[in-house]
Amino acid sequence: MIQIAEKSDAASAGAKESDRIVRVRVLRQDAPGQESYWERHAVPYEPTMNVISILQRIAAMAQSQDGRHVAPVAWDCNCLEEVCGSCTMLVNGRTRMACTALVDKLLEENPEEIELKPMSKFPVVRDLVVDRQRVFRALERVKAWVPVDGSYDHGSGPRISPDEQEEAYPLSTCMSCGCCLEACPQYTKSEVVQRDDESAEDFDKRRKAAFDRGFIGAHAISQAMLFNSHPTGKMIADERLKAITSQGGIQMCGNAQNCVAVCPKHIPLTRSIARAGRAATVWAIKKLFDR
Amino acid sequence: MAQPRVLVIGGGLAGLSATMRLAELGIHVDLVSLVPVKRSHSVCAQGGINSVNALTRQEGDSEWKHFDDTVYGGDFLQHQPPVKEMTDWGPRIIDLMDRLGVPFNRTPEGYRDQRRFGGTLYKRTSFAGSTTGQQLLYALDEQVRRFEVDGKVKKWEFWDFLQPVLDESGRCRGAVCQDLVTMQFRAFPADAVILATGGCGLVYGRSTMSMVCTGSAISRAYQSGAWYGNGEFIQVHPTAIPGADKLRLMSESARGEGGRVWVPRTPHDPRDPRDIPEAERSYFLEERYPKYGNLVPRDIATREIFDICTTDGLSVEKDQLCVYLDLTHLSREMLDRKLGGILEIYEKFQGVDPRVVPMKIFPAVHYSMGGLWVDYQKSGAGGLEPGSPRNQQTNIPSLYAIGECDYQYHGANRLGANSLLSCIFSGLFCAPGVVASANGGGKTAAEESSRLFDTAMRRQEERHEALLARRAGDENPYALHQELGTLMTRTATVVRRNEQLAAAYGEVCTLEDRWQRCALSDTGNWTNQNVVFTKALGDMFPIAKLILKGALQRDECRGAHYKPSTAMPGIAATEPGEQRREAEQWCDRFEMNTRRWLKSTIAKHGSDGHTQISYEDIDTSLLPPRPRLYGLVGGDVIEEVWKERQKKADAIHAQAITSGGLSP
Amino acid sequence: MAVAAVSPKSILPLACGFDFIAARCSFSRLAAVLCSRHVAVDRIDPSTITRLFVSESESNPSFVTRNQFLIYRLFSLSGLVPVGAFLVVHLLTNASVLAGPGAFQSRVDLIHSLGPLLVPIEWVFIFLPMLFHATVGFAIIAGGLPNVGSYPYAGNVRYTLQRATGMIVFAFIIWHLIQLHWMGAALGGGQFDPHHASSSAAVALQPAIVGILYAVGIVSAVFHLSNGLWTLGITWGLWTSPAAMRRASWVSIVVGVLLGGVGLGALVGMRNVNVEDAKVIEDRMEGVKRMLEGQPAAGSPAAGVRAAPQPISNPSPAASTTGVSTTGI
Ligand SMILES: Cc1cc2nc3c(=O)[nH]c(=O)nc-3n(C[C@H](O)[C@H](O)[C@H](O)COP(=O)(O)OP(=O)(O)OC[C@H]3O[C@@H](n4cnc5c(N)ncnc54)[C@H](O)[C@@H]3O)c2cc1C
Ligand code: SF4
Ligand code: SF4
Ligand code: FES
Repeated sequence: MIQIAEKSDAASAGAKESDRIVRVRVLRQDAPGQESYWERHAVPYEPTMNVISILQRIAAMAQSQDGRHVAPVAWDCNCLEEVCGSCTMLVNGRTRMACTALVDKLLEENPEEIELKPMSKFPVVRDLVVDRQRVFRALERVKAWVPVDGSYDHGSGPRISPDEQEEAYPLSTCMSCGCCLEACPQYTKSEVVQRDDESAEDFDKRRKAAFDRGFIGAHAISQAMLFNSHPTGKMIADERLKAITSQGGIQMCGNAQNCVAVCPKHIPLTRSIARAGRAATVWAIKKLFDR
Repeated sequence: MAQPRVLVIGGGLAGLSATMRLAELGIHVDLVSLVPVKRSHSVCAQGGINSVNALTRQEGDSEWKHFDDTVYGGDFLQHQPPVKEMTDWGPRIIDLMDRLGVPFNRTPEGYRDQRRFGGTLYKRTSFAGSTTGQQLLYALDEQVRRFEVDGKVKKWEFWDFLQPVLDESGRCRGAVCQDLVTMQFRAFPADAVILATGGCGLVYGRSTMSMVCTGSAISRAYQSGAWYGNGEFIQVHPTAIPGADKLRLMSESARGEGGRVWVPRTPHDPRDPRDIPEAERSYFLEERYPKYGNLVPRDIATREIFDICTTDGLSVEKDQLCVYLDLTHLSREMLDRKLGGILEIYEKFQGVDPRVVPMKIFPAVHYSMGGLWVDYQKSGAGGLEPGSPRNQQTNIPSLYAIGECDYQYHGANRLGANSLLSCIFSGLFCAPGVVASANGGGKTAAEESSRLFDTAMRRQEERHEALLARRAGDENPYALHQELGTLMTRTATVVRRNEQLAAAYGEVCTLEDRWQRCALSDTGNWTNQNVVFTKALGDMFPIAKLILKGALQRDECRGAHYKPSTAMPGIAATEPGEQRREAEQWCDRFEMNTRRWLKSTIAKHGSDGHTQISYEDIDTSLLPPRPRLYGLVGGDVIEEVWKERQKKADAIHAQAITSGGLSP
Repeated sequence: MAVAAVSPKSILPLACGFDFIAARCSFSRLAAVLCSRHVAVDRIDPSTITRLFVSESESNPSFVTRNQFLIYRLFSLSGLVPVGAFLVVHLLTNASVLAGPGAFQSRVDLIHSLGPLLVPIEWVFIFLPMLFHATVGFAIIAGGLPNVGSYPYAGNVRYTLQRATGMIVFAFIIWHLIQLHWMGAALGGGQFDPHHASSSAAVALQPAIVGILYAVGIVSAVFHLSNGLWTLGITWGLWTSPAAMRRASWVSIVVGVLLGGVGLGALVGMRNVNVEDAKVIEDRMEGVKRMLEGQPAAGSPAAGVRAAPQPISNPSPAASTTGVSTTGI
């Protein structure tokens, strides 16, 4: 979000280290619909650097490797401890959180340079910033909430066994980062552009409709399962099953299982998907006979 | 008449809980946030949330004791009625969050499990794994999304709050905000505006806080005339992991499980820590506090670690201040079982296994107790009057502040796991009062003349254009921010000295002047993070100044504010009579100090750009102030003397009542 | 063919190439609707597409979009029954040649005893389901964006191989039908003759290139089925936990290896048939059959002296009646 250039106290640690340069290649794009282009940067190496600190240094220098004056690279971040879900990008071609992408490890993979690209399944806003509205829209679709009466006092919630808690907690750590969607071969980009004669409301409606035609994604299926297993949440279980069996629902999953491999929170997504598949099977059969 | 609308700025725990309650009360809410609300800083809180519970109650705990712990921990610097109301609400809030689906850890029988946190004897802290803040925030985010689907809430994510809009009478009628993507400005007419924008850690450069915790929003309100309370009270956490981009929290539990803090006796010993023999290590906490060892209270640990690095020059690294926090003597199996989560964080960010190599840690700025001054209305029961429009209202009518950005609940020092409670409480509790205020009669903000908003918009547009147009400047905003952070960290954190504070105030003024010459490296008008940051930086200076000035003027030690020149050392004497005499003196001095300094600092933004400090008396009607003696040498003697004095005072008080001289 | 035993590395070049092909597949419209692929919603011109697939307005979704879940589940099911089941029967039948041409011939005869019912049965239970499976399958392939290059995980390699083998098998089946049943003779290939099952097949499979193509086809089909079995279990929720999935993947590996053995065994067995000996046996069986049916042995008074099957100079009437039967082995 906002970049802070803070040279570490350790910045000048050791003569040998301060000479080292980290080469970075960033795929930039000035605005939606514009051509993207590569830009190279060279940043002095510091111990315990991560990709975020690289981007902070780039912002502070505002200069490309060949000394050209350039605008700082735009990117998203907030917590810097892999819990807010802001900083997803493609680091060396793979989707991950930039804040836990340690430079030392990346250089082990490829000592030549570090490559940064925006996520490919979401429309680029600028440089490494993408528009992930669709991720949140999917949560609306599956009604990812407990339908309580309200915030007035009704005593404590239902009793829940430690086993149930241990099952629910990991699912509940999903930070809507979108890694699972980026890596999913079944999830494809949906980019809707506002028309000149279109009001913000109409555009919003049209865009949501377009999102809803696309694959809902592993994260939302997992959230549906989370709330369908909560004692109060399950009161609207059928509505969630309806959502995940409508267009773009669970049937779109091709079981590539990339989602679970890239999820920074190690959420057992494929387990959720399979449980959702089972629930959908039962529900669909029941519906068939209840008609 | 048009329906009243409320504008909430900030979607952390405080902003979301207020939004939820307002929507429930039928008010249309516009919710503005710099980041998608689900990504707010509240997700970082790990430890838990405090409240009395069925279990502690049976051990003698009560709302009152929670209240007492909070006030005592905060060194009595907070008005007591709001704190009492908050602790009274604690159990209800946990119940509510439980119903909303927060996966709190469970006992084998299926009840909520609790752990113990600092500053109390009871297991009051409910927790959900090691990400309680995240879980609480998500539960509220989900409820707000539900209202959003129903059309009762409209989110404006990636929007920056720029200024409140005030009418001629000084009442807040809305705000001007800017879209961070298109860079467009928009005026939001609103019948009440609630600020829930969190802390201001970035004034210190790096802290344990998130990147949007610039304090820009509160600074903008402050510069528009809102008062700022207790700014100088900044909590510094003793153990954080230094990082090039952020200082990440290392939980206290590492020491709780047997972690030892040490430095090599030779400054910057280049050897691998594992090769340094015991004799050449200084376990300075254990040496100086044989009784408490590594588990001395937070502020003391912080001060000692800070001192050994700065004053004694024994930092592990030459270019970076840090000490070792050593777990390598503990069994791997135990570490994995009890500390797995937090050790993973260290490993993830440092790339080093703390089970094998001692961790390097250093104190870091963590929380701002101070914030916008807010009002309250006391109830007959000593708590707050529900539904009063005064609750949480700043000195600007119809402008409210809640959560970490108000000054109300934590006094001079916040207890662990109390902040999440205060955020949710202030959000939920203020809502009915805000509704009352919004319905307050007269024309609604939507019917207000557009001139009011146009003027404010134009002002912001001009500021923006002027920034973009600045070309000749030779200052780099990121470098300036770094300078500000270093300066503030050096002078206004753990140990404060008047000459340093005074000099720092001057230096911040210079930095502010230099900021005027900042050149932007991006002058475009699309997702320009450069200009947004530069603006936020400009707004950090007023906050930095009020912190420094408040600290400079407060000549005492209280909570997180520590001035060696005013410290009240413990008792030196060993002979009982002498001890007693010293204790009497100590108590005299304490009483004098209380009379002089038990006051909130109120900072106002002067028209000349300087901070004006005044003081406000504190409502201590429920609990008389008493000395905070954690870890003080001779504390037991002082306590004895103090109790005798209290008894005497109570007797006089009681006599006065029976003789009808005083009302209770 | 082992399902998970394929090392991801060895498969990478193939899989990456597949990325390229699939990304450029031009099923886009059908796929866009069926697979919810919206690379550029704005740019889709509804006028060029049939009503069936258009779902531009929320209030009036098309048949396909309304029933996407159902279609995909039927797709999944059809892969197992009848298509998968047919593959198993087909390969087992063919493998019976290992027990001698007579064993194989008697199974072929059993199938052909269905007489005129054979063709409609083939269409309803084999071709149509297969075509349905293939159509939806191609739409799915066109809607996906394989990415093993970036994410070379075993699961992803399998996902990509599933699509690659699907396309290979589709092409193979068409060629298989043409080569062996429809116009093999015209193309200089071998024409399958249900009365001389082993001998005619052996002749048709004799060229080395044909043998290789069959091996590829069989291995692909077996992989597609056994891996499909595993994903089907997830899709329908039969195995949900990672441990259960691991167990299930062993099961499907075993199924795949066994079935692959059967299939390749059949191929090898077929090619190793001694054409002359087989013919003798087949003709004798043909004679017995006719006798049982009360007909004279065709064309010749004595069994065992029928003309050689290649080239077929004098196709028997029986052969021409079942000539359209293509799956009847
Ligand atoms: C590492 C860490 C661990 C902690 N652990 C605990 C714990 O265990 N227990 C506990 O009780 N407390 C803990 N705390 C403290 C607690 O997390 C915070 O005090 C609390 O989350 C603050 O919540 P909030 O709602 O006030 O603000 P935040 O969650 O900070 O939200 C601020 C909101 O305001 C928005 N905003 C800010 N500026 C602007 C602007 N200019 N324009 C528009 N929007 C703006 C942001 O986008 C965000 O949505 C911890 C803090 C840290 C740093
Ligand atoms: S398992 Fe499904 S959701 Fe996950 S990556 Fe594969 S196709 Fe996508
Ligand atoms: S499931 Fe995992 S990868 Fe997907 S959005 Fe949630 S945290 Fe990110
Ligand atoms: S910045 Fe929050 S996840 Fe990386």
